[in-house]
Amino acid sequence: MPQSAEKTKDHVSLFKEPEYTEMFAEKKANFECRPSDEAVLAQSEYTKTWEYREKNFARQKAVINPAKACQPLGAVFAAQGFEETMPYVHGSQGCVAYFRSHLARHFKEAVPCVSDSMTEDAAVFGGLNNLVDGLQNCQTLYKPKMIAVSTTCMAEVIGDDLSAFINTAKEKEAVPADFAVPFAHTPSFVGSHTTGYDNMIKGVLNYFWDREKGEVKPGASNGKINIIPGFDGYAVANNRELKRYLDDMGVDYTFISDVSDIYDTPSDGTYRMYDGGTKLDDVRDAINAKATIGLQQYCSDKSLEYVASKGQSTASFHYPMGVGATDALLMKISEISGKAITPAIEKERGRLVDAMADSQAYLHGKKVAIFGDPDFVYSMAAFLLEMGCEPAHCLSTNAGKDWTAKMEALFATSPFGVGCKAYAGKDLWHMRSLLFTEPTDLLIGSSYGKYLEKDTGIPLIRLTFPVFDRHHHHRFPTMGYQGALRVLVEILDRIFEVTDAASDISYDLVR
Amino acid sequence: MLKAKIKELMNEPGCATNQAKSDKDRKKGCGKTLVPGAAAGGCAFDGAKIALQPITDVVHLVHGPIACEGNSWDTRNSWSSGSNLYRRGFTTDMGNLDIVNGGEKKLYKAIKQAIARYKPAAVFVYQTCVASLIGDDVDAVCRAATERLGTPVVPVNAPGFAGSKNLGNRLGGEALFEHVIGTVEPDDVGPCDINILGEYNVAGELDQFRPLLARLGIRLRASITGDARYREVAACHTAKANMVLCSQALITLARKMKEKWDIPYYEGSFYGISDTSEALRNIARMLVEKGADPSLIGRTEDLIAEEEAKAWARLEEYKPRLAGKKVLLYTGGVKSWSVIQALQEVGMEVVGSSVRKATEADKKKALERLGGDEDKLADAITPRDMYAMFKDGKADMMLSGGRSQFVALKARTPWIDINQERHHGFAAYDGMVAMVREIDLSINNPIWAQVRAPAPWEVE
Repeated sequence: MPQSAEKTKDHVSLFKEPEYTEMFAEKKANFECRPSDEAVLAQSEYTKTWEYREKNFARQKAVINPAKACQPLGAVFAAQGFEETMPYVHGSQGCVAYFRSHLARHFKEAVPCVSDSMTEDAAVFGGLNNLVDGLQNCQTLYKPKMIAVSTTCMAEVIGDDLSAFINTAKEKEAVPADFAVPFAHTPSFVGSHTTGYDNMIKGVLNYFWDREKGEVKPGASNGKINIIPGFDGYAVANNRELKRYLDDMGVDYTFISDVSDIYDTPSDGTYRMYDGGTKLDDVRDAINAKATIGLQQYCSDKSLEYVASKGQSTASFHYPMGVGATDALLMKISEISGKAITPAIEKERGRLVDAMADSQAYLHGKKVAIFGDPDFVYSMAAFLLEMGCEPAHCLSTNAGKDWTAKMEALFATSPFGVGCKAYAGKDLWHMRSLLFTEPTDLLIGSSYGKYLEKDTGIPLIRLTFPVFDRHHHHRFPTMGYQGALRVLVEILDRIFEVTDAASDISYDLVR
Repeated sequence: MLKAKIKELMNEPGCATNQAKSDKDRKKGCGKTLVPGAAAGGCAFDGAKIALQPITDVVHLVHGPIACEGNSWDTRNSWSSGSNLYRRGFTTDMGNLDIVNGGEKKLYKAIKQAIARYKPAAVFVYQTCVASLIGDDVDAVCRAATERLGTPVVPVNAPGFAGSKNLGNRLGGEALFEHVIGTVEPDDVGPCDINILGEYNVAGELDQFRPLLARLGIRLRASITGDARYREVAACHTAKANMVLCSQALITLARKMKEKWDIPYYEGSFYGISDTSEALRNIARMLVEKGADPSLIGRTEDLIAEEEAKAWARLEEYKPRLAGKKVLLYTGGVKSWSVIQALQEVGMEVVGSSVRKATEADKKKALERLGGDEDKLADAITPRDMYAMFKDGKADMMLSGGRSQFVALKARTPWIDINQERHHGFAAYDGMVAMVREIDLSINNPIWAQVRAPAPWEVE
């Protein structure tokens, strides 16, 4: 018997027991009607060729292993960054279960989020009743200060009008008339989670600045800078890191959505359905800020456009990671606020540059493939170029043509960018072809890269959302100088691990 | 006993520096008194351990408190092509009770255990300050253990307080001379057997020139001590010639082997293209003088011509990227001159070379290659001066050991390690090409632009 009560075997070893291996072999031989092993192998080898790569890139319809998620995921993420806010998805509940598990698997935290569980009859007659009942139940059960409504495809396909529905719900006294219910239409069939994030932020700003009490005009400046962090799997640590810089410089700021507390609650015997987040009053007051900065352009385009329409100045970045990117961000903040970058920060910068110089011999000329959200891939490539690595394949499923142009301009700034290519709208099956035909030394991306790692033997470094199979990575920053240091160390660790694993007589203690 | 030995080592007739001294200076010996409170290098124990640890198939047992082994365990990239026993850390880990009651019994038991468990070719026992202070007689324990256990147990009596690291290297050589060499008589003595002294197979360098020797039919009887086997070293007195690489470390051993077994020696280097050729020529000459087939000389010349042409050709591609770059050499010893030529060949300018730890002959050669410019030769350069040199842009990069790396790095200057902690072999023809390649990678890395630029908000 492979299992006994005294010593139960885990699946890692259980299926290697003879009972199972025999069963698998028999199943394969008698029931699978497989082609011969040789034929399977030949086909597998064929998929590694240039010829197959060309066919693969000519593929138009099927997307295989996409490295992106859908709008409402980003909307839920954005909504959770506000004070005592319940993300509410108008649509089918299955989608919401996905968002919750997706975020929980990455952050290792409970993710409170509700849906109004639209079913077949709602699809036929419209989802108004679901929304009215849903808002009332949500408010009664979970006592939030704000309910942020986004939508799934189902509600979008039948054309539910959120603005009208929410007004009706308030007329029917499902929630009080002055209760904050911002909304965003977030169909999955348009854009990706970065778009959804942007839409939800815009929806929240729009509620407090235009809907709550009619159109609000900006008053006297409150001297603050608004910061929209964007969808970021490392937001817990990155937001805190950025606040540290801002506090150090004496800059007054408002984060527009800050998930650093809700996605990192302590285990002290108290369950926090809500924790931290941007105060609703601060959002109301944010219209009077000096400027609004988007840390990730592709997560805040529409929001910043809306902010600019209120007469505020705006600026956006591409996930400030690495020396140059952090420099640019801090200088912008300094310029807007009139506060100097402090000597302490400058020292941190010097330490990062020192560390990069210490290790450059191991990084020089390393070829790297990157995939992820457009802003992340951009800054990762820029940081690699700073270190003398070659970001050979840069792939972003949810990027467009303008991103490709930006990437190409970036490559042109460095001799290490020669021969590097950006692939917008491509998926991880395309990446597989790239890695087999033009192999790199490293692969940087999310946990989904692990199959590519197994397949191609190219070591994976997990540096972007989602990281499901490694714990607590999100608790340490990737942005700013400290973040860049951590990214540097992760890359180096992987290089050294690979070197050690491949070494016999040169298995050295000191490297 | 130890005192007499040290005195003898301090007056080495084979040492060029010593020969050049006045009688009065010679009496003082060559040990520099350490200045309390000033930074200093390693101790005699460290030196002995470094010199002997590369012997691969023996147990290196340190008799002392934990730190002596704890800190020196496997810190050098001395590679083995066989046994990895030498990379294990063995120590008696003396505690306070051992210091009160004496550690000899514990040492004996440790030797016994190590032999029973690992069946090594031999055990090397290293004396340390503490064991020496309490009077543990390591020599006697080793003698007894050898008799009773049937495995050679070699005492290495170089406690840290005896003196400098270099003295320790030589004490290590003494241990080999007294207890190891000549204890095995091989049955395959040939006319073309040589030993290499002072080669530690750092980053596998031995295999950058061992194949060259093999092509000439020259057998490396023993490498002392890189990638060595105990029995090879024990039988190395049958070789026909000795080549001494790191001359200050094992010159005494070479001289004594000449006196006792009439083995001629040549001090040379496998660093640099011409020097490798020179070394091969000298080995061939010595062997022929000792009765090897005279055709060896012609074959050696053929090999040199072929390999040199290949190496120079491979250096061509680096010229455009390295021409005009100024480099500071800070290594001392033979490397103070041996790499100059290759660097000059790719168009680099050697702006200075440190000749500390170098013999008078080394200095002369370095001077010759630097066009007679005395200013370019320096003894020790203080970190302050070195820092200033980089700050003033007098050098674009530095080649040195790990200890001075941070002076360069903090002065925002590229640096590569050409001493013992390096990870690339730089010996012989292939090694020199590898070194130039490393220089190219380092000097042309984009991080230096970033390192040198001030924070952008400081620039108007």
